[in-house]
Amino acid sequence: MTTLTLQALEMSYPGTGVAAVKGLDLVVESGTLTALLGPSGSGKTTTMKLIAGLLRADRGDIRLGERSIRDLPPERRGVAMVFQSPLLFPHLTVAGNIGFGLRMRGLAPDDIAHRVQSMLSRVRLDGFGPRRPAALSGGQQQRAALARALILAPDLLLLDEPLSGLDPSLRDEMRGLIRELQRETGITTLVVTHDQAEAVTLSDRIALLLDGRLAQHGPPEDFYRRPASGTVARFFGGVNFLSGQVRAGVFHGPIGPLQLSEHVPDGDGTLTIRPEALRLGPGPNAHMAKVAGLTFLGTQTRVDLLIAGTALQMLAAPDQVAGLRAGAEILVSLPPDALWLLPRPPA
Amino acid sequence: MTDRHRILLLLAPALVILGGLFITGLGLTLLRSLRYFPGLGLTDPDLSAYRAILTSPGFLKSLGLSLWIASASTLIAAGLALAAALLLRQTFPGRAVISFLVQLNLTIPHIVGAIGILYLFSQSGSFARLAHAAGLIAAPGDFPALTQDPYAIGIILLYVWKELPFITLILLANLQSISADHESVARSLGATRWQAFRHVLLPMLMPGLAAASALVFAFAFGAYEVPLILGASAPKALPVLAWQSYTDTDLSTRPEAMAMAVLIALFGLLLLFLYMRILRSGGRDAP
Amino acid sequence: MHPRLRLLAALALAGWLVLPFLPLAVWSVAHGWRFPDLWPRALSGKAWGYALSDTAGVLDSFALTVFIALSTTVLAALVGIPAGRALGLYRFRGKGLVTALLLAPAILPGLAIVFGLHGIFLRLGLVGTTGGVILAHLIPVLPYMTLVMAAVFSAFDTGYEDQARSLGASPAQVFRHVTLPAILPGLLAGALFAFLISWSQYLLTLAIGGGRVQTLPLVLYSFAASGRNDITGAIALLYILPGLLILVVTSRWITGRSAAVVGTLRP
Repeated sequence: MTTLTLQALEMSYPGTGVAAVKGLDLVVESGTLTALLGPSGSGKTTTMKLIAGLLRADRGDIRLGERSIRDLPPERRGVAMVFQSPLLFPHLTVAGNIGFGLRMRGLAPDDIAHRVQSMLSRVRLDGFGPRRPAALSGGQQQRAALARALILAPDLLLLDEPLSGLDPSLRDEMRGLIRELQRETGITTLVVTHDQAEAVTLSDRIALLLDGRLAQHGPPEDFYRRPASGTVARFFGGVNFLSGQVRAGVFHGPIGPLQLSEHVPDGDGTLTIRPEALRLGPGPNAHMAKVAGLTFLGTQTRVDLLIAGTALQMLAAPDQVAGLRAGAEILVSLPPDALWLLPRPPA
Repeated sequence: MTDRHRILLLLAPALVILGGLFITGLGLTLLRSLRYFPGLGLTDPDLSAYRAILTSPGFLKSLGLSLWIASASTLIAAGLALAAALLLRQTFPGRAVISFLVQLNLTIPHIVGAIGILYLFSQSGSFARLAHAAGLIAAPGDFPALTQDPYAIGIILLYVWKELPFITLILLANLQSISADHESVARSLGATRWQAFRHVLLPMLMPGLAAASALVFAFAFGAYEVPLILGASAPKALPVLAWQSYTDTDLSTRPEAMAMAVLIALFGLLLLFLYMRILRSGGRDAP
Repeated sequence: MHPRLRLLAALALAGWLVLPFLPLAVWSVAHGWRFPDLWPRALSGKAWGYALSDTAGVLDSFALTVFIALSTTVLAALVGIPAGRALGLYRFRGKGLVTALLLAPAILPGLAIVFGLHGIFLRLGLVGTTGGVILAHLIPVLPYMTLVMAAVFSAFDTGYEDQARSLGASPAQVFRHVTLPAILPGLLAGALFAFLISWSQYLLTLAIGGGRVQTLPLVLYSFAASGRNDITGAIALLYILPGLLILVVTSRWITGRSAAVVGTLRP
């Protein structure tokens, strides 16, 4: 098991003059399944290629355990990558594909065949060994590609958007398989994705990359409950932001005083609350709100509220708000432990 | 290694070989045609070789003959190839055999075809014998001169035989990538079969046909061994004349041979330019 | 088109394509076939016997021609694969110029450069050598091979190579186990036709071989010029044999699109 350390990593594409990765520091703990999350253009693909050795860093270091792999060729890094498209070699059978890396290492054919057999059953492809990749479904191809990397027992496994090419029905299956195999093997795994839902449901920890820098790194809940900035909060669907002042543990903003649950030093600040954290009815920090509109979203209903002229959004179970009509006046509470004061940028 | 270095490294061997042999060969030909030949004491370049050939009736006749050969061969072969491609596009019994023959022809060296045409059409050839058997002629001399003749009919026959399949194959490949739906749409909009062909299919085939025709023209204009076998002794096709001037024991005609080669090269470059223009403007369906 | 008319047109086309082979085939087994006889007085295997004998040198010539064509093909592949990769995978400044330089030797008649080439090869001492002839054959063959490989590479996903590297394959292993199998069908088609282009060269061999490198077309011409129609017929059939074999073996590949690639350069 191996920790991946990125240290002040920098890289810009020749001729562009703009850095795609700008001094990235990241420690991926040994044995974790971490999502490297970011919108397109955030530098996540560049970071992944830097780790895999498909690009060269301008500055900084990449270490696996104590070993710097920055200047090693891709094949000597101990990093196995599974690309977004399965890229199974069409001239080899499925078994030939899965055994490819072992063959490159010069293992005996018997040994390879034996290991491939057990790998095939671990990804539920028993009996598919002699087939050609083209005879496999998309989901099966993706599983074969995963098996081809896992069989090498790499120090680090890189998965590039592993679910994005799959039908929604196959995603759960693949997600389950990745989690299961990662736990069994304990291989440090980095999943690169632009889909925050995928990152949240798949990984132990998320490293969010925005504009070539690490914006936040922690367990998925933190990105909802304790976002590091307004941008992070918005990326995860945060919509409610109130600016005001903290005085003696109470936030004074546009909708009136709000009791905070943690001690926060006095001063200016921006408060955020998840739309799904707002509660109908009495409770701590209760305020009268006017219903400005209702939008049925399927599993939830979005309620647009006006509290003292300030717009807030609430997400509630549809039957909970079934009787509400636009224009109604209702009591809404903002639980203190759901209030989060965004860290102030250093002065 | 940056992409730029990689590209250069990948291209280097090909550029060195082709640049080294082709450009230097062309350059040396140009210098010699200007009578620059220090080894023979010629150090003042001049245009006298060009003046000499451009005022020589023999050269002008050869040039005219080669242009005639190339134009006639290209036009006839392209027209017949268009018909052949439309024919082979349909399904009928025996199509596979004809497709095979068309492809087989691609592998036959020109010189073999030229000898075959000679044995067919010469005054003592197969057709002359048939004419005799039919009582049309009494002696070989009565049969019309179709090979080694002043109108280069034998040469044109050979090129039609050899390039018809070549153009047909290119057209068939283009036809594969053109959906039959275009014609169906035209027909449903009220076009007759002929109008659908004339206004829809033909324009789509044009780039491929033009590019293939440019190649055929360049080849028929500059090939040596075909007029060597099937051509008359006078006038000679330009390549034969040039080679004869080059190998003449009288070394003073060499600059003239070089000048002819330069003119042939200029024609070739012009056709290359046209070919690349057609490919660029012709879009996806050009070969 | 009316089915009967169509059949007639098809028969005419087939007949025209086969026609020139007929007198060659009959002449090769003819014993005494003077004007105005429609058929030889007698049939004999003498012309074939002579062509295939050790003394005639036709078989030596055949072997030499095969050697030259094979060497040219291998060299063209070694040089054409990397160049085709550059042209097929990258966009770069000057690509149009490079393409034009590659197309030019294939489109320009051999006669345009053969005198200059003769001059260079004289100085290099390559005139009259088999190596010189092979080098000269590269001029029409290499452009063709490069452009075929460019077409092959433009349809190749280099992701496979990255994937193989990340699975522990060295650059040499990647080429051997991933790239080569992927480009092999295109490479073989290109190589077969590169072989045929070299196989049918006449003028370049005549000029650079200086009479000392007697390939099959040169031998064929000298028999044709001397009026030995029977031996000419036999050699002509011998000469088209490799092309026929190649076609029979590969006819499944040379259909459709690949025919266009194949036919792009050489009429």
